[in-house]
Amino acid sequence: MSRIGVFICHCGENISRTVDVERVAAQVGTLPGVAFSTDYKYMCSDPGQGLLKKAIQEQRLSHVVVAACSPRMHEKTFRKAVESAGLNPFLCEMANIREHCSWVHEDRDEATAKAIEIVGMMVERVKKNRVLPTITVPVTKRSLVIGGGIAGIQAALDIADAGHEVVLVEREPSIGGHMAQLSETFPTLDCSQCIMTPKMVDVANHPKITLYTYAEIEQVEGYIGNFQVTVRRKARSVDEDKCTGCGICMTKCPQKKIPNTFDRNLGMRPAIYVPFPQAVPNTPVIDRENCTKFKTGKCGVCQKVCGPGAVDYEQEDRLIVEPVGAIVVATGFDLYSIEEKPKGSAIKGYGEFGHGKIPDVIDGMTFERLASASGPTGGKILRPSDGREPKQIVFIQCVGSRAREKGISYCSKICCMYTAKHTMLYHHKVHDGQAYVFFMDARTPGKSYDEFWRRSIEEEEAVYIRGMVSRLYQKGDKIVVMGSDIAVGVQVEIEADMVVLATAVQPQKGADTLAQKLGISYDKYHFYSEAHAKLRPVECATAGIYLAGACQGPKDIPDTVSQASAAAAKVMTLFAKDKLEREPIVARVREAGCVGCFYCQKVCPYGAVEEKEIRDRQGNLVKVVAYVNPGVCGGCGTCQATCPSKSVELDGYTDEQIVAMIEAL
Amino acid sequence: MKKKKMLLSTETMDVDFVRKVEALSGTSVRRCFQCGKCSAGCPMATFMEHPPNRVVRLLQLGQWQRILAGRSIWYCASCETCSTRCPNKVHLASIMDALRKLSWDAEGPSKESYVQLANRLFLQNIRTYGRQYEMRLAAVFNVKSGQFLKDLMLGPKLITKGKLKMFHQKNKNMTEIEKIFGRIEEMRRNGEAL
Amino acid sequence: MTSRNTLSYAYYPGCSLHASAGEYDLSTRELFRKLGIGLTEVPDWFCCGATPAHNVDELLSLSLCAKNMELAEKVGGDLAVACAACFSRLKTTQHVLSENDVKRKQVEKAIDAPVPMKGNVKHLLDILARDLGLDRLKQAVTKPLAGLKVACYYGCLLTRPTDVPNLDCVEAPTIMEDVLKAVGAETVAWSHRLECCGANFTLSRPGVVIQLSHAILDSAKEAGADCIMVACPLCHGNLDIRQEEIEGVYDTRYAMPVFYITQLVGLATGLGADKLGLDALIVNPMPLLKEKQLL
Repeated sequence: MSRIGVFICHCGENISRTVDVERVAAQVGTLPGVAFSTDYKYMCSDPGQGLLKKAIQEQRLSHVVVAACSPRMHEKTFRKAVESAGLNPFLCEMANIREHCSWVHEDRDEATAKAIEIVGMMVERVKKNRVLPTITVPVTKRSLVIGGGIAGIQAALDIADAGHEVVLVEREPSIGGHMAQLSETFPTLDCSQCIMTPKMVDVANHPKITLYTYAEIEQVEGYIGNFQVTVRRKARSVDEDKCTGCGICMTKCPQKKIPNTFDRNLGMRPAIYVPFPQAVPNTPVIDRENCTKFKTGKCGVCQKVCGPGAVDYEQEDRLIVEPVGAIVVATGFDLYSIEEKPKGSAIKGYGEFGHGKIPDVIDGMTFERLASASGPTGGKILRPSDGREPKQIVFIQCVGSRAREKGISYCSKICCMYTAKHTMLYHHKVHDGQAYVFFMDARTPGKSYDEFWRRSIEEEEAVYIRGMVSRLYQKGDKIVVMGSDIAVGVQVEIEADMVVLATAVQPQKGADTLAQKLGISYDKYHFYSEAHAKLRPVECATAGIYLAGACQGPKDIPDTVSQASAAAAKVMTLFAKDKLEREPIVARVREAGCVGCFYCQKVCPYGAVEEKEIRDRQGNLVKVVAYVNPGVCGGCGTCQATCPSKSVELDGYTDEQIVAMIEAL
Repeated sequence: MKKKKMLLSTETMDVDFVRKVEALSGTSVRRCFQCGKCSAGCPMATFMEHPPNRVVRLLQLGQWQRILAGRSIWYCASCETCSTRCPNKVHLASIMDALRKLSWDAEGPSKESYVQLANRLFLQNIRTYGRQYEMRLAAVFNVKSGQFLKDLMLGPKLITKGKLKMFHQKNKNMTEIEKIFGRIEEMRRNGEAL
Repeated sequence: MTSRNTLSYAYYPGCSLHASAGEYDLSTRELFRKLGIGLTEVPDWFCCGATPAHNVDELLSLSLCAKNMELAEKVGGDLAVACAACFSRLKTTQHVLSENDVKRKQVEKAIDAPVPMKGNVKHLLDILARDLGLDRLKQAVTKPLAGLKVACYYGCLLTRPTDVPNLDCVEAPTIMEDVLKAVGAETVAWSHRLECCGANFTLSRPGVVIQLSHAILDSAKEAGADCIMVACPLCHGNLDIRQEEIEGVYDTRYAMPVFYITQLVGLATGLGADKLGLDALIVNPMPLLKEKQLL
């Protein structure tokens, strides 16, 4: 006879507001097999756990049901507590009376009745629970970092400096990401290149880091501690080992009129190119879509001029499989485009701002390239249309951000600060110019941030206008800005020479596809979801995968670097152990019943099902049955549902347990 | 009124009025975050004492008296620029409609009389004739507003161009239009519609 | 039902087309006859209520429009509307009543009939550009409007608000330009094509109209347009009838003819001046049309 203990949590008022917890405790106390039941305000707290341990020992409990929140957060907590009191942790189950009951109901009597039923089901279930031994698996102490922006670079360097191998994969031909495009950075106005490029070089030179640029993630298999990642190294058409980076191929390439995306299409580049002079690696790549040789078969100049013979038109994509134990996702962000939006897109464009048709309406990143000493104008602020210096410049904040109507309701977080910085850079470079900023409110909650914003107004003489802009239109060579100042209560019109739109931060294109490969979740905007917004902000819900930077949500450089180092620390915590304990929720085959049809093998998404020979004492083969490798099994239960002879069962979720729950209803 | 201190309390903030506006307009008043984009693009803002964003702000504070005392709502052209460009999906043009209706029902106390007069005559015309008679509308408006000479110069020009017809054929189904007006009035008397 | 080759519509002209905008009505009927598109006027239609009705009494506005849709249903086919303001009211009514059950029930009680929701409300532009199609429109052209530089004026109500008319992109529409290019005209890029002309303030506060329409005329002139094209009798009234007055107030000269879309398209299909009501325009278009050899 089991002696079950039931512990009902109030969750502060989250549960007790709607559910009469005392009545639940009294009622379930009368169920057969229940030896003890009680309620407490915070069951997960130290006194709550103490209560549980004490009851196990004093009441000699055999099983435990904790009726509280979703098992997502605290199942581990309670199983640990149960274990420390001497019981097998898998003899403890949680009944979810918060998400499944108190949060979704209003009527107290009905909610209480439902809570009693939920707990009753778990009581019947836990009676059928068996002692399960913990499974240990080895940890591959190598890490994959996806994305070579500042987040990926920081995470890779931290992990590598701790002595672990890192594979860093970057989609573009060079690492550096968006930070490499910036001119100077807030709130200290230090040159982005000056603080960024040394780190890029460190990555390239680090003995523990394997760098794959111009590469993408093809496939991810396995689980925490034991991932198998297939990386596609796209054909660069240049042999990285032979190339010396002399750059003669680029100077001799006859095709020189390709818009330079690194410079936001302000400058031109050849078909064989490095994205920017400080690129790492300093190995060019051939843009096959625009290369004459690839389009027509004629040309071949770069191959002829290359001394070391590094140019290789025959090169093909290569697939490389890397075993790693942890993955840091640092794929960064993309900017809301000011071009016209395709029909059917959830994100609408800004037709009222000219849909990118007015040449001197640019976005913030384009302004960065104009202000950058290494940019297409050598750091001079010049209009794209006629190369003149703008004397009246208007900045508009919240373009795309905080605009439910346009498809994005979140704040992009960085624009208030970078626009303040832009007004300063402009003032430093165009002394007789005037900057105006249309804004709703300034969001500057960072160390030295508000002071920075105030400086832009008080010392750098930017005119901030609280109010948005309805429309922009071209009038001669000016752009008419139709705005309003809501503090004064009047319309404002400015004939500007240039307008800079602070466009919203969005996840990278294809963020959803990568998430599906990794098996991690994302929100409706395709930002990756952390396991817990407050307490597990750098981990994914999928074990062994960590997040860093703007792929999780809009972030500035200080926050990005902090999160990257935090993700690296999490990886090192994982690598501090040689073996990893994992939940014994795995499938087991009842060999007597198995007929060897191997349907389970076909449906197993983890590739965990193997063939096992059964022999008699004389060594004669009796039959071949399925065997589930407990180290690889993901515990999804698909095999259990598929098996025609009902010979596979998932520990912890056996048919017997499920049937017991249903019968309790 | 304009410079009077705004005393805010649960008594002075008329939440019921705001709910009426929300029911009539089908849009949220609280949702407005005062970005001012409506006022930036409003072709009529220069004619208003309260620009559109401030009309919503006063509404958020339940200060409808301040709105209705002015002429701002009657100077809205219903061009829907505000609703179209609002980043937060506040349908301000519908809020303006609702405010005008509530002001109209209360018969004032707005300062703007010409627009209200024109509206009144327009609706009377529909009820009497089923369709609009531009010439009659203009003539009666001038008489009632005391601007006998307004647009006098346009008259002959329009008549020679055949633009102002002296006579119209009357709708044959005039009883139906009267029934519509009557049923709406009845629904309002019975409290079935606002 | 309209088959692919024989288009036919119920036609709602609206009050202005039976009065000050008679030339819009005339040219619409003539053009559609020429193009082989059937138009049957909704018998005994009522005023849609226009701005004054929705301004102070939304329920009345919705009821008047719903009544007209009910009358139109008896004719059959989609409802063709010429006036941008009527189009906006009818289309808005359809939108509001399909989204709001409370309002629909009130309206059904007011008109004592179910609101017909099946038929589409279509502006003439939509019929020309999409139902007939630009290719077939091109085929009907006998006298391309070569060399005529037109400022296409949308005004406020053809495309707004975002979810309702579904005629074209709300901020960067091209449907007027598409139609005009199909008949061989040139269109100018100009800044004020979506700005408000002052609409019905023409009666109560003409000063407003003078100020707003002045900006529109100015912008069209600056862009080098020979003329303006509209699809709304209210816009036409403000830009054409009041043009001389505006010239007086601002001491300037535009002499900018303002055409209805059906007049320009009609011209390209070979219709004569008498069938397009060109003599009803206040700003005389004849010198321009003769200079461009279009008459």
